[in-house]
Amino acid sequence: MSDAEDVDLRVELAGIALRNPVLTASGTFGYGTEFAPFLDLRRLGGFVAKSLTLEPRRGNPPPRIAEAPSGMLNAISLENVGVDAFVREKLPALPDGVVVVASIFETEIDRYAEVAKRLSGVARVAGLELNASCPHVKSGGIEFGQNPAVLATLVRAVRRATTLPLLVKLSPNVTDIGEMARVCEAEGADGLSLINSVQALEVDVERRRPVLSNGLGGLSGPAIRPIALRMVWQARRAVKLPICGMGGIASAEDAVKFMLCGATAVQVGTQNYLDPAAAAGVVDGIRAYCARHGFSRVADLVGALEMRRP
Amino acid sequence: MAVPAPIRVDAQVASLSQEGVASWRLRLRVPDWPGFEPGQFVMLSPGPRGAAPRTDPLLPRPMAVYRERRADGEDRAGSLREAEIEILFKRHGRGTALLASCAPGDRVGVVGPLGHGFAAISGRALLVAGGTGIASVYELAARLERRAPGSARVLLGARSGADLMGVSDFEALGVGPLIATEDGSLGKRGLVTDLLEAELARDASAHVYACGPTAMMRRCAEIAASRGAPCSASLENPMACGFGVCLGCAAPLRAGGFALVCRDGPVFDAAAIAWEVMP
Repeated sequence: MSDAEDVDLRVELAGIALRNPVLTASGTFGYGTEFAPFLDLRRLGGFVAKSLTLEPRRGNPPPRIAEAPSGMLNAISLENVGVDAFVREKLPALPDGVVVVASIFETEIDRYAEVAKRLSGVARVAGLELNASCPHVKSGGIEFGQNPAVLATLVRAVRRATTLPLLVKLSPNVTDIGEMARVCEAEGADGLSLINSVQALEVDVERRRPVLSNGLGGLSGPAIRPIALRMVWQARRAVKLPICGMGGIASAEDAVKFMLCGATAVQVGTQNYLDPAAAAGVVDGIRAYCARHGFSRVADLVGALEMRRP
Repeated sequence: MAVPAPIRVDAQVASLSQEGVASWRLRLRVPDWPGFEPGQFVMLSPGPRGAAPRTDPLLPRPMAVYRERRADGEDRAGSLREAEIEILFKRHGRGTALLASCAPGDRVGVVGPLGHGFAAISGRALLVAGGTGIASVYELAARLERRAPGSARVLLGARSGADLMGVSDFEALGVGPLIATEDGSLGKRGLVTDLLEAELARDASAHVYACGPTAMMRRCAEIAASRGAPCSASLENPMACGFGVCLGCAAPLRAGGFALVCRDGPVFDAAAIAWEVMP
């Protein structure tokens, strides 16, 4: 047992120095300022901003969300202020010392690359997270991240467009997550974020229609946590890239599970809706866990899962 | 008046009582409560009873703040060390069932007050409410009555008399209420919007405030527009966060695009809403 105050919480994720391993997930944390009444953003390792497209976009018509057992579905679509307004208005509104990772999201590969380029010279942007879960029109609407060849082309194009640390956020809607991880490693990504939400459908039985206007949505929340842990563990075994793990993290114990399975850092997502100060609580809880278990450095938790031998 | 900054605290159930068929009155002791503007809401998460955090149902529930009371029992706006806020709700799903099963002393997570409430107006006001929407207009009625006694009139509607909430509170304020029930068990038989039509026919200069089912608010908007009366409506879309990040509570606008009920509302100029495409 060591003193909680003495635990070294610093980690380095894909070349980004973080004061602790807890970030917040894109799409669940707005542009950061929405949380200012509830927590000091500088207590977090960092946050991943709402995914940005080249132009501002309006989202889907309602209903956009649906509750599910221990989770929720969303189909917001691409709603965001656009990359230029983000740089001009959203970034300057953040206090100094907040680590910002910008998430990028587009429908065509050259547009992805252009968004990456526009963010590259911006001092406040510590890194990019490439959201590969957008449907790719030219591949018949399947996600970029569901086809290894398409994913390779996308990562290559964005890698050429930026020297910023580049995390690729993987879709869980694949047969072999290890294959997708290897593609990213081969194309020069600096790290992986996983998992994105799990494709899902909820039905309004009275009206015999999908609940969501879009039909399908993405399932998030504690319901997907064991799936996410399994995929982080598999990706860890497939590549050497650092991993930012996420999927239903609601507590410090959940975050530690991801680190034990091989995540260097974690992202708190849906829980931010329930409790806007949740991520700060996760930081405190990880510190206490390390002290309780005699870890002086949080980085020593990474990949420390001991698998049972048969 | 500036909108109070929201807080995130653990509140404690002071009391919970059933009123009518499926209506409940919840009183919460809220530390550091900053006060609220009429029409603002809170997100409520009934807390865990044991050690493990509850995950099902997962999301907090948006609830209008019915009224507030300082610890010494006196109504007051402004910053309060601890206040009691009152919530009226109906049990119609798993989240509200959980709230209805709370016991005094239980912990309830509170985030709020959230959103923008009813803008202050002068002149005559007609407050039209149905279902749980009744909870959104009490504080507005109280403040209007305090500022200009006799200027506000409250019209309440429900399927049946037993479905109504807070009637005696409105009576105590001296703002009516006029009541319409679909089965005629209380007040006039018919819809609350029939009452609105009759009131506006008498005097079309009133500002209409509406909160209730979408069909009711849409009809209020139509009636007010036909008489040239301004109409504000407080929307009740489902939402996951309440402070503008989940983007779940989008309301379609007549001018195109969407507004967020939590951030841009919940009170809107009824003429700005594209009611025909509201889900």
